[in-house]
Amino acid sequence: MNAIEVEHLTRRFGDLAAVRDVSFGVPAGQVVAVLGPNGAGKTTLIEILEGFQAPSSGRVRVLGTDPRAGGRAGQAWRARIGMVLQSTSLDRQLTVGEAVRLYGSLFARPMPVREVLDLIGLARETGTRIGALSGGQQRRVDLGLAMIGRPEVLFLDEPTTGLDPQARRGLWAVIQQLAATGTTVLMTTHYLDEAQRLANRVIVLGDGQLTADATPDQLRARGGTPVIRLPLPAGTRAGDLPAELASHVDADRGELSLPSADLTADLATLVAWARSSDVDLTGLEVGSPSLEDAYLTLTGSTS
Amino acid sequence: MITMLMRQVDYQLRLLLRNPRGLWVSLLAPGLILALRLGHGGAQAGPVADRAAVIAGLAAFGLIATCYLTHAIGLVTARETGVLRRWRASPLPRWGYFTGRITATVLLSLVSGAIIIAVGAGLGGVHIAAGTVPALLIIFVLGGVAWAALGTAVTALIGSAESANPVLMFSYLPVILLSGALGAIGEPKWLSTAMSYLPGQPVITSATHALAYSGSGLAPVSVRDLAVLAGWTVIGLAVSVRFFRWDPVRPAHARRAEAGGVAAPARAGTAA
Repeated sequence: MNAIEVEHLTRRFGDLAAVRDVSFGVPAGQVVAVLGPNGAGKTTLIEILEGFQAPSSGRVRVLGTDPRAGGRAGQAWRARIGMVLQSTSLDRQLTVGEAVRLYGSLFARPMPVREVLDLIGLARETGTRIGALSGGQQRRVDLGLAMIGRPEVLFLDEPTTGLDPQARRGLWAVIQQLAATGTTVLMTTHYLDEAQRLANRVIVLGDGQLTADATPDQLRARGGTPVIRLPLPAGTRAGDLPAELASHVDADRGELSLPSADLTADLATLVAWARSSDVDLTGLEVGSPSLEDAYLTLTGSTS
Repeated sequence: MITMLMRQVDYQLRLLLRNPRGLWVSLLAPGLILALRLGHGGAQAGPVADRAAVIAGLAAFGLIATCYLTHAIGLVTARETGVLRRWRASPLPRWGYFTGRITATVLLSLVSGAIIIAVGAGLGGVHIAAGTVPALLIIFVLGGVAWAALGTAVTALIGSAESANPVLMFSYLPVILLSGALGAIGEPKWLSTAMSYLPGQPVITSATHALAYSGSGLAPVSVRDLAVLAGWTVIGLAVSVRFFRWDPVRPAHARRAEAGGVAAPARAGTAA
């Protein structure tokens, strides 16, 4: 049985549908990233799975239970679920230790408080009020509270939005450790590198509809033509390259990124230019399009 | 279950004590008025019943401020910051959260009420017989619960933390002032009668009678006053169960963004 089952899910607001006829299943232990541009329906989808919103039509089951179930069934279901909501939602007056202990007391078999604090890297901040923590540290407390009940399914709604790169990587490590224990994870994110790093499956939503459901590698392979990448050596400008290559230079990244339908011809042009201009080709790569390229192709966006 | 409730009360007490501005307001304002009215020993010349009325009115003023204003503002803030949503997503029964929160608020309001009464009795020369304590406890606990239930219910009308104060003050001050917290209002008669059916005056009159009681046994409590407060408790709880919102009202632009460019309903969740 799948840990998450979504069948023909539609969520309407008035005449318009935020989620339209979406179906998928998530086997236990899988880490799934839901991608999509703003307004694609990601948050609506995850809020329906969390039980905060009701579907207009279709069927949703998480661990075999309707997330809108009330009473004891709903209570028992919530004890098997962990959630990191889209924005931090903590009592700022509590200390980190108090918050973790309090939430742990709600579960029959919680993780030891010390283990959670070590896992989220806040053991030294046990006595610190949450309001005095940085944004990244508060997000880690969010994750700690979501995991203390040993959830079978963990929902993460844009868990690293607004965090600096170091804080993001810290959270990634915690999520990877959780996934390694067999927890099913469904996360929404705007960051393609996050999906690439954490997920073994990517679901792409566009305009409320499911536009792709594949592994990151499959998605990249669907992104079209292979890409030639070359970090431009210092002092080399786009204008120094042949015209057919110059238009594919990303000035911000200082990189040539050339989708190539004819690798042999394009590489020959590049190598000939490098030889004549005495340019070092260290860093030259030929590969599948990045997940970002594939994503942009799927969502019809342009970089 | 008892352990769970005790943890919730402990948690809510910590929050209240670590953000004590609301409590200071409910202690300071009545305390200052008390000092002005009973200070210098001048008020001790009047009848005991008058002095008891001043003390009871101001104790009720502070108690109700905590149970209604502080409680409701705390709930709105918890809703705005997503704390309520987190609790809603937890295995804690929903009634467990509110029971803990209301119990902690009433406990703290009893402490502030006791301080006002003790200071007032000292300034006003009012002897508090041991037999009055149970009556005061009953009326203040039931009054506190009634006002906290109404405070919970009224949050359904409050869209944001910014709009909390105007809505709460508009509903609280007229009731508490016309109920005689700062002095008895005898005329017009219809107003006094109407006030006796609202949840302010029963607290004040019952507490006044208890404080003025000079008998040797237990001070009596008006069954009518208790019935009025019980009625308001039921109304407050019923409205809360039906209309309480766990999620904030989201601004239109955010609703459009979240719902795929279309407007989502303003009210994202109810207690049901």
